[in-house]
Amino acid sequence: MRSQAMFFKARVGDKLADRVLQENLGKAKSKFVDARARAVAEYERDEGADFEALREAGKEIRNRTLANLDVWLETFEAKATERGGQVMYARDGAEICRLVTEIAQRHGVNKVVKSKSMLSEEAALNQALAAAGIQPIETDLGEYILQINDNEPPSHIIAPAFHKSKEQVAELFMRTHGSSKKSGIEEMTREARETLRGHFLSATMGISGGNFLIAETGSVSLVTNEGNGRMVTTLPKVHVVITGIEKVIPTLEDFATLMRLLPRSATGQHISNYVSVLTGVKGADELDGPEHLYFILVDNGRASLVGTEFQEMLRCIRCGACMNHCPVYQTVGGHAYGWVYPGPMGSVLTPLYTGIANALDLPHAATLCGQCSVVCPVKIPLPELLRGLREKQVEMDLRPWSERIALRLWGWVARRPKLYALATKIGVRYLNWLADGTDRIQVLGVAPEWTRGRDFPAPEGRTFRELYAERRTGQGR
Amino acid sequence: MDAREDILFRVRVALGRTDANRPAAAADVQAAFAARSQGPRPQLGADLLARFRHESGVQSSSVDEVATLDEVPAAVARYLAERQLPQRAVVWPKYAALPWAQAGLAVEARAAQGDDAVGITGCFCAIAETGTLMTCSAPDTPAATSLLPETHIAIVPLSRIVAGMEDGWALARAELGELPRAVNFISGPSRTGDIEQTIVIGAHGPYRVHLILVRDC
Ligand code: SF4
Repeated sequence: MRSQAMFFKARVGDKLADRVLQENLGKAKSKFVDARARAVAEYERDEGADFEALREAGKEIRNRTLANLDVWLETFEAKATERGGQVMYARDGAEICRLVTEIAQRHGVNKVVKSKSMLSEEAALNQALAAAGIQPIETDLGEYILQINDNEPPSHIIAPAFHKSKEQVAELFMRTHGSSKKSGIEEMTREARETLRGHFLSATMGISGGNFLIAETGSVSLVTNEGNGRMVTTLPKVHVVITGIEKVIPTLEDFATLMRLLPRSATGQHISNYVSVLTGVKGADELDGPEHLYFILVDNGRASLVGTEFQEMLRCIRCGACMNHCPVYQTVGGHAYGWVYPGPMGSVLTPLYTGIANALDLPHAATLCGQCSVVCPVKIPLPELLRGLREKQVEMDLRPWSERIALRLWGWVARRPKLYALATKIGVRYLNWLADGTDRIQVLGVAPEWTRGRDFPAPEGRTFRELYAERRTGQGR
Repeated sequence: MDAREDILFRVRVALGRTDANRPAAAADVQAAFAARSQGPRPQLGADLLARFRHESGVQSSSVDEVATLDEVPAAVARYLAERQLPQRAVVWPKYAALPWAQAGLAVEARAAQGDDAVGITGCFCAIAETGTLMTCSAPDTPAATSLLPETHIAIVPLSRIVAGMEDGWALARAELGELPRAVNFISGPSRTGDIEQTIVIGAHGPYRVHLILVRDC
């Protein structure tokens, strides 16, 4: 998928003005947050259960493999190969598309069923398959809704159709399935089930992502609620796993630990309905399972993070908690971010994977409130990484001249205490005048853009320095 | 350079890999495999059965209990009759020999197909912490039986209830040696929240999961 991240500001304007989207986001935003909070509290009811300790353990597991990623990858590869899988590597999206198309052609495949794979979004795989005459079918309900809406990109990594209302889905189903318009979510889900069932049974190749690669056993794990992950890896004769090189973890015990973190952080479930650990191909006497198993391990920017200040980002287990808890994401939705990954993790990943200069606004699309790093199950310090990217922009001379001059001016004034005191005094009086006796400013005179979608809080009368001086001389309250 | 070499090369350079520090990295891998150390996990207390029953309910599975394996077919027939479901099912070949016909059930021992309405399976073990079945694929325990039919009924021997996923892995290593092709952890019927984050039961897999606990087996 081509990044549109450079148009963040323009898109934000559109998203804030989109009444339907704002209504949909308003309805959805607290559900994941509440569910996670409840799940964490329920977890801690058991003796010896401390979610903080779990997060620390999750972080350590991910750090362990990243610290020696080359050796862990080789270990996984040897084990997976021994069990009959074929391990391949792809440098970028184009290589993913080429490998998958070749595999499909080798096995005479003309229809592919897919469970959710964000990497196939990075690669725009569906378009490539279609161009090669192979029909790709998305089977995650959210992904399916987007696919039939002209390949609309996902707006959330866990709930791809987060931004859609049920009325919009009903409309879409009626148009695509030629059926009568449904009003209930249950009826719509059944309609999708019946439509997709036929595809599951007739497709000869399944494509999945992978939540983790387990080095000890050469397995891939898949976590779903719908059961589509199981379908695409049980029924077709070919299974292709597309996942990032950073997904490898050591042992089955580590997997058990991470599975206490992932569902609670993602959807607030104690466990997802289906957790599969898949190893190798179907045995000679087995009644189901794929005969051919391929792993495509993808770089697409990941290797360049190894050994840098941004390596911590590679711990990400794609739970979506950071975006669920992000006030910016909650307000603008996922599409504004312009590429595959939205929210705080997207604001870090998009510039790192697609080029810092191509996503200048994203590291600034955060209030740095820190909630994302509080909920991240593997303790990624997202605000610090965002700040690191901001610093990079300055080092690379990528900030606009107006900002650079403003900062230089500020620096000059700030180094002259008397002048600074005077300037803030005037500033505060000016803001109070704008607020006109209320506690907020509706149009900020010097920067009207800032108040287009929000109010500016008015300062409380005088400057900090004035109040402080007053206290020091004992005249204060 | 081919993609594999290129990617691994860049990772090695980034990590500062040398011949001198490679053995230490390999040793860390071996140490992890030797220790298989467990992370922090909840202490569930002695009554795993009560916990399993409770969590199964949380996952929207229904639970019944019988004394012996031979009583399972009658319990299945009862469940299907109560819900006005057809008295017809596919069963894991592993359980082909139970007295199904006596209970009035038409049961076939084969892998499930798209239009089978009821699938009967067992489980490798069951996990009390989350109300989860752990199933392992094999010729007599095919994976599709718990997936394609709208109703999934599972036989759960009480002796196979363990505390957590770690205990399931330990059993698998002890009894199976290496992992089977598919280990599926199943926790209740399939569901989706993809439309307006509203949970709906019955996505691509079963609409109902019914567990029959068996005391003596
Ligand atoms: S950065 Fe953390 S919170 Fe965000 S998706 Fe990744 S693991 Fe989840």
